Amino acid sequence: MSEASPSPAPATPAATAEMAVELIGITKRFNAFVANDSVSIAVRRGEIHAIIGENGAGKTTLMNVLFGLLQPDEGTIRIGGQDMVMADPAAAINAGLGMVHQHFKLVPSLSVADNVFLGMEIRRNGLIDHAAQIEKTRELSERFGLRVDPTERVSLLSVGIEQRIEILKVLARGARTIILDEPTAVLTPQESRELFQTLRGFVAGGMTVIFISHHLEEVMEVSDTVTVLRHGKHVATRPTAELTKADLVRMMVGRDVSFERRRRDRTAGEVVLDVKNLWARDDRRLPALRDASFTVRAGEIVGIAGVAGNGQTELAEVLAGLRPASHGSAMLKGRDLATLSPSRIREAGLAHVPGDRMVRGVDGGASISANLLMGRQSKAPWARHGVLDWKAAASQAVDMIKRFDIRARGPEDTVKRLSGGNIQKVVLAREFTNDSDFLLIDQPTRGVDIGAQESIHDEIMRQRAAGRAVLVISVQLDELLTLADRILVMFNGRIMGEVEGDGADSERIGMMMAGVEAEPATGGAAS
Amino acid sequence: MEVLDKLLNVALLVATLRTTAPILLVGLGGSFTTKAGIFNIGLEGQMLVGAFFAVLGSIWSGSALVGVLCGVAAALVFALIFALLVVTFRANEVVVGLALNILAGGMTISLMKAIFGTRGSIVGHGIVGLPKVQIPWARELLGSWAPLISGYTPMVYVAFIAVPLLVLFYKRTKLGLYIRVVGEKPEAAEALGISITRVRYIASLLCGLLAGLAGAHLSLGYITMFTENMSSGRGFMAVAILIFSNGDPLKVLGGCLLFGFADAFSLRLQTFGFPSYLILAVPYVVALVALFALSYRGRPRIIRETLDSMRKLLSVENKPTENDNTLPR
Repeated sequence: MSEASPSPAPATPAATAEMAVELIGITKRFNAFVANDSVSIAVRRGEIHAIIGENGAGKTTLMNVLFGLLQPDEGTIRIGGQDMVMADPAAAINAGLGMVHQHFKLVPSLSVADNVFLGMEIRRNGLIDHAAQIEKTRELSERFGLRVDPTERVSLLSVGIEQRIEILKVLARGARTIILDEPTAVLTPQESRELFQTLRGFVAGGMTVIFISHHLEEVMEVSDTVTVLRHGKHVATRPTAELTKADLVRMMVGRDVSFERRRRDRTAGEVVLDVKNLWARDDRRLPALRDASFTVRAGEIVGIAGVAGNGQTELAEVLAGLRPASHGSAMLKGRDLATLSPSRIREAGLAHVPGDRMVRGVDGGASISANLLMGRQSKAPWARHGVLDWKAAASQAVDMIKRFDIRARGPEDTVKRLSGGNIQKVVLAREFTNDSDFLLIDQPTRGVDIGAQESIHDEIMRQRAAGRAVLVISVQLDELLTLADRILVMFNGRIMGEVEGDGADSERIGMMMAGVEAEPATGGAAS
Repeated sequence: MEVLDKLLNVALLVATLRTTAPILLVGLGGSFTTKAGIFNIGLEGQMLVGAFFAVLGSIWSGSALVGVLCGVAAALVFALIFALLVVTFRANEVVVGLALNILAGGMTISLMKAIFGTRGSIVGHGIVGLPKVQIPWARELLGSWAPLISGYTPMVYVAFIAVPLLVLFYKRTKLGLYIRVVGEKPEAAEALGISITRVRYIASLLCGLLAGLAGAHLSLGYITMFTENMSSGRGFMAVAILIFSNGDPLKVLGGCLLFGFADAFSLRLQTFGFPSYLILAVPYVVALVALFALSYRGRPRIIRETLDSMRKLLSVENKPTENDNTLPR
């Protein structure tokens, strides 16, 4: 039995294999907030080591400490068995580390080769030797299988290729250990697959890869070892082969997470939103929403399913008063939305969680308490006699941070510094505490990690139980199957059909999402 | 035809190059700051102190060269103050630039009063102007076209030779590349350990150097005198040109030639008896039109959003008149 396979020997103690990177007892505090609490990780040479955790678990902080962008309050960094002080990124680069950041730092007007050699230009007679840089870049790109045209201007390239350039930059500086911060967040599935192949090639050549992620599928697919962080603490480091996805979720969140359909009782009450034959045009003035008719009742969740770009955005914008309807009507509690400005619509009972939270959801540069008070700056308890009461706003913010489990340093924390999931929670906290009768939620959990997804779903269910009418627009069908009482499917601006949430047939919904007409079985929507 | 001949000839081209030179010099100076991501409207002031101190230096030393050096030194001091406030103390660059411009205007007037006891202008006092450079064999080679390349004061040559040098500078030198990176993507510079502060200081000082030369050219070039506010808006014109050229040396050259030509052409028009007030406005009108056209292009988003929100307001008001029964199918 034991000789059946050589087996990767997961239980081998760390001491036998040579360690590329060791982090020992790293603690990093930001004022009172502990981002990393005595975290110890050992990364073996020649492996792909995934670091996973929820948003705000401390993954990025830890990597910034390793790369010299932050100084740890406690702990030791060891590279290849030797203690190192990473005073700045230059020290880390000298130690053979290279970091590919989540947000690329390329100069758009320069060529690929210029970007790769920026800061270490090849010069001849004091002038930059572009030809040599192009040649060297070509060599590197061929050696590591990262296809790029060294002479192309970066502004003309896709995000996937930009990432390749970032990796080439790191390789050109002689990195043997490459750290990637959420590398697939910006990539298409095909680009991600290509990236994984490249990474496999790196470790086959004796290099080491550390990558941060919260996409469990890709962690399972590509990594050799997984380290899980939770609330800044180290939970486990185990060979990937020993683990299942469910194990990872449990370790990340600290409990079992269920995405079963939520239990509920039938409570649908009076009609809150009544949409009749609604048409709207998109930004190019083409019809994007065609003849939509539906209702949303108090105490029910109606889901809008569909592939992105089939009129859902326009529908949401019309309902929020951000886009004029070209024909038809939308009545909120008997009031015609077309006659109301966005702020009036909100007063009439709309809470809106927009699809693009950084554009319409929050002011990224402002504090959490400022974002939470937006839209009610003239109401008690946020204002007294028409003057803002920042103390009251802060104390409200503290309550909401607690209630919605927003991971932040405090109410004065700048919103754009938070992770995507926590920014979404700020928007939800503001919109769900307005006592609005109608909740319009566009993509409730886009870019939000698993644990947070569950708590957002809990909150939406609570709103339903409180008798609110809820319209959830999502491109994730699973999410709608979990939440919705009824699901409307949109295709090419039309509502193709309606499906009861209980016992919904995802196969049938999928057909409608692809534009195949539903049999008029449910008889809900028209045309 | 005769009129055209009279208007367009070698003399006009020569005049164009001559009037282009000072604005080209100061524009190329501004190219450094523009590329480094600093909006420098202090060019006017740097040029003015350059002109004033060039005259002072020339009178005191009896040497045009020392005069030029004094002018450059004064402009550099202004550039250093600008950099100190804007780069180190992060003051608003427009406010600082404006303040320095006002300071330059007031300071030159006060100093003129204090030193020479006059207002208005400094003439005579033994100012030594820059000599004209006669290029040998120009006449043999070009005949009547010779004035096109020969007989200018040195700064004209410096200005035009600086253009290809700057192109090379931005393309092939480390400093030039870093100035571009700092202006275009400071995060990238920071990540690579390039000091943004240092690069911006260097860019500001290089700008002061050229602005000082431009000033010296004004007061020691074709006319050897200093008058109040003698830069007369050239620094601002350079700023306008920089906005649309984005600091690219060749585009700066193009913009400056346009202005220089309009300037020379308007002088020429004066001989036809058009009202001089109108004619003096021509180059500025040309530049303003160009600026408007190009800043419109530079800010389509603001304009688009404004139009959008106005449309939205209007459509909300018109909405109730629309009727459900006229649906298209």
